[in-house]
Amino acid sequence: MPECSKGSSAALEQELCARFERAVPAGMNSDRHLVWRGRNLSVDCLVQIGTVPFLLRIEEGSIRECRKGLPLLCSWVFAVRGSAQGWAALWQDPPPPGWHDIFALTKRGEMALEGNLQPLMANLQYFKDLVTLPRKGGPR
Amino acid sequence: MNAKAMEPILGRYIRVSVMGEDCRIYFEEAGQGIPLVGLHTAGADSRQFRHLMGDDAVTGNFRVIAFDLPWHGKSYPPVGWEKREYRLTTELYVSTIRAFCAALGLKHPVALGCSIGGRIILQLAHAHGPEFRALIGLESADFQQPWYDTSWLHRGDVHGGEVCAALVSGLIAPQSPDEHRHETLWQYMQGGPGVFRGDLYFYRVDADLRGKLDGINTAVCPLYLLTGEYDFSCQPEDTLRTASTIPGVKVTIMKEVGHFPMSENPAQFRKYIIPVLEEIRQQKS
Repeated sequence: MPECSKGSSAALEQELCARFERAVPAGMNSDRHLVWRGRNLSVDCLVQIGTVPFLLRIEEGSIRECRKGLPLLCSWVFAVRGSAQGWAALWQDPPPPGWHDIFALTKRGEMALEGNLQPLMANLQYFKDLVTLPRKGGPR
Repeated sequence: MNAKAMEPILGRYIRVSVMGEDCRIYFEEAGQGIPLVGLHTAGADSRQFRHLMGDDAVTGNFRVIAFDLPWHGKSYPPVGWEKREYRLTTELYVSTIRAFCAALGLKHPVALGCSIGGRIILQLAHAHGPEFRALIGLESADFQQPWYDTSWLHRGDVHGGEVCAALVSGLIAPQSPDEHRHETLWQYMQGGPGVFRGDLYFYRVDADLRGKLDGINTAVCPLYLLTGEYDFSCQPEDTLRTASTIPGVKVTIMKEVGHFPMSENPAQFRKYIIPVLEEIRQQKS
């Protein structure tokens, strides 16, 4: 993956955040089967794109809130933090080899999973599909 | 009976003694000719080879046989399994393969293994090469860096089948057809509790083969390694590094394929495997 300059990196981050906000709550909540697959998951979690955190409030598989930036003293159960470069690659269609899955990205140091991972691991495919909604063509 | 609807694959059971234990092993086969034994990936079963068994270009010259390791698919665990934790070791894996081939009376077969099957192919080449006509390792390396903690695969508060499938789903190439992607994941959803984890004991703990593959003679037993570009578990560079230590090995990096070539994208895989099988067929046994 090419290196980004500081300016282009900030622009990339902004563009990725906009894509995430556009694609994730609407994409999830309009997909009844995907919501059904997450029916056992109610959790507050953090998804970070570069330097920008998003708080996701998930209730029985539906996204009740997708908030850019964290409220003061906000708690979350688990976090998925990725570099802008990592998210950009993951959302390409098709994504390049070695950049195509959240674990491919953690293995190469472009993403980190933190906190209490039990709710994430118990709903892993649901969550993988959630974070790849911004990819044109949908989750793979 | 609608003969056209019937597939050519036949399934049977055979009793095999493995390291003193009686194992009832399920296997499937199709075709005639050179025996070609398929070794499935960790936590899965012989269904991964159904496309090879349905390919006339393969079965015209090869008797394709794939078995479920004990504890997997339709092969029960040995009697008394309920009192112990399953752990695959190098010795047990090699013994099972050799005992199965002997029980079927296979003379000088070709073996083709994927993932853990690819790792054991290297051990077979090292320790038992002359018993085989050729060896083919898919997603094969002497070692690869772990990318998750296997304790997630077997615990009370996470569904084992679902988490096994969700973890490996990223190892399938994005280009692989949905039908075959989800069929491959279904195999993982159906594994017994702790079986995938037990297989990975071999992969992660017992079989670090770095520096232990001396003496492989590819003039006696040709060795082929094929790895998918989208496999981030056994990465192409893992295979290439391994191959650099084995004189005469032939390596191919497969485009638009991940960790389960024969199962996730049979049409793409056959572009790579058929020339290898043709080369093996033309070699003198």
